[in-house]
Amino acid sequence: MSKIDEVAALVEKGKAKLVGAAVQAALDEGADPVTILNEGMIKTMGIVGDKFKNGEIFVPEMLVAARAMKKGVEVLKPHLASGSTGALGKVIIATVAGDLHDIGKNLVAMMIESAGFEVIDLGVDVSAAKVLEAYKENPDTKIIALSALLTTTMPALKDTVAAINESEFRDKVKVMVGGAPITQEFADEIGADGYSDDAASAASLAKKLVAA
Amino acid sequence: MLTPKQNMLEVIRGGNPDRFVNQYEAVQLLFHPFMFSSPLLQPGQENVVNAWGVTNTFPKGVPGAFPVHTPDKIVVKDIEDWREYVHAPSLKFPQEQWDMLKAQYDAVDGEQAFKAVFVAPGLFEQTHHLCEITNALMYYITNEDEMHDLVKYLTEWELELAEGICSHLHPDTLFHHDDWGGLDSTFMSPAMFDEFFLEPYKQIYGYYHSHGVDLVIHHSDSYAATLVPSMIEMGIDVWQGCMETNNIPELIKKYGGKISFMGGIENRAVDFEGWTDENCEAVVRRVCEECGNKYFIPCIAQGGPGSVYPGVYMSIANAIDKLNEEKYGIKVAESTRLPWQIMF
Repeated sequence: MSKIDEVAALVEKGKAKLVGAAVQAALDEGADPVTILNEGMIKTMGIVGDKFKNGEIFVPEMLVAARAMKKGVEVLKPHLASGSTGALGKVIIATVAGDLHDIGKNLVAMMIESAGFEVIDLGVDVSAAKVLEAYKENPDTKIIALSALLTTTMPALKDTVAAINESEFRDKVKVMVGGAPITQEFADEIGADGYSDDAASAASLAKKLVAA
Repeated sequence: MLTPKQNMLEVIRGGNPDRFVNQYEAVQLLFHPFMFSSPLLQPGQENVVNAWGVTNTFPKGVPGAFPVHTPDKIVVKDIEDWREYVHAPSLKFPQEQWDMLKAQYDAVDGEQAFKAVFVAPGLFEQTHHLCEITNALMYYITNEDEMHDLVKYLTEWELELAEGICSHLHPDTLFHHDDWGGLDSTFMSPAMFDEFFLEPYKQIYGYYHSHGVDLVIHHSDSYAATLVPSMIEMGIDVWQGCMETNNIPELIKKYGGKISFMGGIENRAVDFEGWTDENCEAVVRRVCEECGNKYFIPCIAQGGPGSVYPGVYMSIANAIDKLNEEKYGIKVAESTRLPWQIMF
């Protein structure tokens, strides 16, 4: 097994305490840092996402894999050119106003980050004004991802997307939405650019949106 | 005509129900003293610390309270030393308090409805209330021993609570919350679930069953079809909150007789801004048609009578009554059942 394969195996198993040493070993052996990142980690998290989507693994396994990747990236970061870890661009993510659910939003944030984006997580119960403000502070943001888990907060999701749609920067950013009561039809109706029904699909959707 | 309680028993036992059970009509939810020392929040209350040290908030217009987990408010700061942070609240209550509550149980007409003690949160929920959900879910892998110990600690506390409830209040039913999944998946694999929760719940539900409780109704408004064999082994008689994503007709075929399913009417399908009676009725008709009245109780999925948008719960109730009249020729007079309880 190559050192990069070892990194991949440790990320997939979520061995956060061991992955740093494995990354260091791969670097010491002369492996290219970008290859370690792409092949050992980002690709692995894609596999983890697919397994989650197929019901082969569950939330805890996905969370520990994402955490292990984060530990590996910490070791790798000094060896990478600035911006390599978030090479696909910035994503602002939030659960909308009135909604305190965070697990779905956190999973999406982790999977998007693992796919190569830089994530700015605004947390839960976030107002439309705060989302707009976050974009203004990060005008190079590629995607705004919004979550609502309650039928009662669907109007807040609609209002937040409406505020983005009315903003002067709308043509520079993509908007994706998700959450249990949200459907593709609702996403279309409120004027979002994309919808996904699980965290793994959200990462694929984010990649598709920035490639478009 | 059977009373609501008799009808529910016929549904659960696969006997001869004479109509659909109408949501919670045969289950009167009642309290125990701990609920007064760590009360459920009212809408609009924010940052209230409960008896376990968990901070909760109940924004207006949402179905229930949420734990607040900003870093400063997470109870368990270090899972390896969880005992330093988690301190089970006392379950010693004055006899007068038990007596006052017992009077409420006695006041319920036991011919009409089950006297159900309401217990929440459950073991899994309590772990994530204390640790924060992302942390808790990871700890089940990274800190297995500590999580086993924490679940054992919570189980012992629940058993002490059960002892007090059964010896003082004598309910015939337990209505116990613990959400084990999301819309289309369980939070953890069935194997991990069994490893952490099967034995603890066998103890808790076993205790209730052997101390006068006939029915254990467990609430989890989620997907949890893959956990049904474990639910049966734990001693759950009715799974309330069963969502359509579980394929309820299939579950009834597979497990009917061992467990019954209460739900099918998801809040997201009926309980939203701009809800209508017509939509509620259409959903009721579809769900009842698909599931039938054996081993199934049509009910809003949320874990207690009521709805987020006022009026939705009663709209569903009216639709079920209408269907019962059409399909079974039974017009249920309000005088033949207990007044509707709306808790949420």
